[in-house]
Amino acid sequence: MMNPRTTRAVLAAMTVTATLAVTACGAGGTGTTQSGSAGASDKTTITWDMWAGSEDDKKWVADTLAIAQEANPDIVIESQTAAWGDYFTKLTANASSGNLACVTSMNGQRLNGFYQVLSPLSDEDLKTAGIDKAAFQEGALDILTYDGKLYGIPYDVAAMMVYYNKDMLAETKTPEPKADWTFDDFVATAKGATTDKHKGFAVGMGEFQWMALPIAKAGVQPVNDKNELDLTNPDFVAAAEWYAGLVTKEKVADVVPSASEAGWGEDQYSNGNVAMAVDGTWNAKSYFTNEAGFTAGATRLPKGDKGSTGLVLGSGFGIAANCQGAQREAALKVLGALVSKKAQDLLASSGRSYPARTESQPLYFEALPEKTRADVKTAFDATFTGVVGQRSTSTWAQANEYFTPNLVSVYTGQMSMTDMLTQGQKQFAK
Amino acid sequence: MTTAPAPRKRRSALARAESLQALGFASPALVGLALFTALPVVLSIVMSTFDWPAFGERRFVGPDNYVFLLTQSPDFWPAVRNSIVFTVLYVPVNIVISLALAMLIGPRIRGRNIFRVLFFIPVVTPMVANVLVWKMLLNPQGVFNGIASSWFGVTLPTFLADPNWAMIMIVVMSVWQGSGYNMLIFSAALEQLPESVMEAARIDGAKGWTMLVRVILPMLSPSIFFAAVMTVISSLQVFVQPQMLTGGGPGNSTLPLVMFIYTTGFKFQQLGMAAAAAWILFALVILVTAFQFQVQKRWVHYEV
Repeated sequence: MMNPRTTRAVLAAMTVTATLAVTACGAGGTGTTQSGSAGASDKTTITWDMWAGSEDDKKWVADTLAIAQEANPDIVIESQTAAWGDYFTKLTANASSGNLACVTSMNGQRLNGFYQVLSPLSDEDLKTAGIDKAAFQEGALDILTYDGKLYGIPYDVAAMMVYYNKDMLAETKTPEPKADWTFDDFVATAKGATTDKHKGFAVGMGEFQWMALPIAKAGVQPVNDKNELDLTNPDFVAAAEWYAGLVTKEKVADVVPSASEAGWGEDQYSNGNVAMAVDGTWNAKSYFTNEAGFTAGATRLPKGDKGSTGLVLGSGFGIAANCQGAQREAALKVLGALVSKKAQDLLASSGRSYPARTESQPLYFEALPEKTRADVKTAFDATFTGVVGQRSTSTWAQANEYFTPNLVSVYTGQMSMTDMLTQGQKQFAK
Repeated sequence: MTTAPAPRKRRSALARAESLQALGFASPALVGLALFTALPVVLSIVMSTFDWPAFGERRFVGPDNYVFLLTQSPDFWPAVRNSIVFTVLYVPVNIVISLALAMLIGPRIRGRNIFRVLFFIPVVTPMVANVLVWKMLLNPQGVFNGIASSWFGVTLPTFLADPNWAMIMIVVMSVWQGSGYNMLIFSAALEQLPESVMEAARIDGAKGWTMLVRVILPMLSPSIFFAAVMTVISSLQVFVQPQMLTGGGPGNSTLPLVMFIYTTGFKFQQLGMAAAAAWILFALVILVTAFQFQVQKRWVHYEV
């Protein structure tokens, strides 16, 4: 038998606890809930997880969501975003708690680390989503394919290209690169544009920002056709050594001042500090409308003795494996709307990226300033000819984590490129 | 208890009721502590004995994670070394500088509160902003190199791309960033110095250096001890400065232990390995702190 005092105390404690519990629920978790906002209790709620850093990116997410929402009035669609740099870290945390958003955006190069938490899409699924494979650019569906299974539908296709600063080339009387230029031409251009004030080229720190030129020159990828890491392939090593030599031997590029400069080459180029840099087609719009005020140009990667191997890259949307039954049905419909012609037209006309859906692609160039349209279209057409799918291994992301801080030592000459690749191969070949 | 005398029984009934009440009121906090602190701690010990990928099959591996870290991992020992080197360099410099600052803006200075605020500003500004400013100073196109080359014709090294300089610059930036905190603690302690003791020392003829070393420092020793323990713990857990300033590079020359844990867990998706590394860090912090408490008996004076 409790005395009144104790009873009061227990009641008080229970009240406090109950209040806390209610507020905790109110704070809401991530993932998907059967009943989302008030008044929508009989509708399924689908969350779409996407990377978005800048205001423009967030606006594109909001506008795209509106298109998907309009197409699916019986589903409540919500979005959550994180900056590109944090997105995959957050995804890891969510995946480990089985809490992925039903529609999860995925980047092609990172699929090998996440395919287990996405559910493969069957032809039946594509029918539910209203997706016709033939509407997409050839090879685009390979972007989110792993081990022969389709894990997502791409929203864009991308490839690496060389961006150059027309003003700097004109000022140094260096001829502009042509679409059939060779690696000798590339070095000549970089040398010609190098003066006391600025360098002709800026090296990259991100995976393909630095690897694209060595891959193009060697004609091989650092992953063999059995999907095994192949960093020590002699052709690739030689080409990578040549690349490091742009800083150490040819002196046409500066050392990278810190391993925290993850976007070194791209930043140097967009700030108008160097004449050339390598980056993906996805940044074309921002370069051609740069704030530094220089006239931008772009062209395909140079040709080596073995042609010019370019990789087709891109991103898209997949369905989380923890998304089942009616939720999955609804998620498929949302996925279909996210890659519908209307959504792809928006992606293109906003200049956000080059769409994977063929019929939306011409709109992309219309988003550019008129005087650059023809240039960019020519560069894109050249860049996308003969691109091949990117091979990847389960340790690809880890190997790239290893490269970034070590590249600094390679560029300063404290470590040889060969050593870096040999150690990387030893550490990450499984 | 039926044999207990009546008054005690009444008191114990009251005490029981009160302790029940206390428990009732404390229960939300206790439940929170159990759920969000105790349970995760236990779970992370369990985790460290598993091959625990972020998703997919989990496998019990016993002490293998620890063995791998201590014998095979290419980055683990360098990370331990970096954390220790940072601590060994940072803590003494931080204590000396913050103590010196506290003495400089002692009670005799006019407007000392303004100085206190000035020195404290770096502590409260976001680290990201601090790092950006330091990057602008340290880069080859930055302020330091600009001044050195235009005034003296000397080209400075690329500080953050050189393995030795990078760590030194992280320490310099951290000292600039963190000294204000300990300075406040020492300032407060200096104001509390017992006037009677100081006067007695002055009458006995203590001046300058003697006064500082024989009187002031011994009386400050409890605060110095507190500051030292807290600073050692926080500097063994250094993460943001290297992450933002050098990215752990060049190579792994500035990769601290916490960044190693972060990368292992959230970038390489090996949660078990990361948990094991975290427990090794925990052991390191506990050992160092215990050692400090052992040694304090010899130099910390509480008799004031």
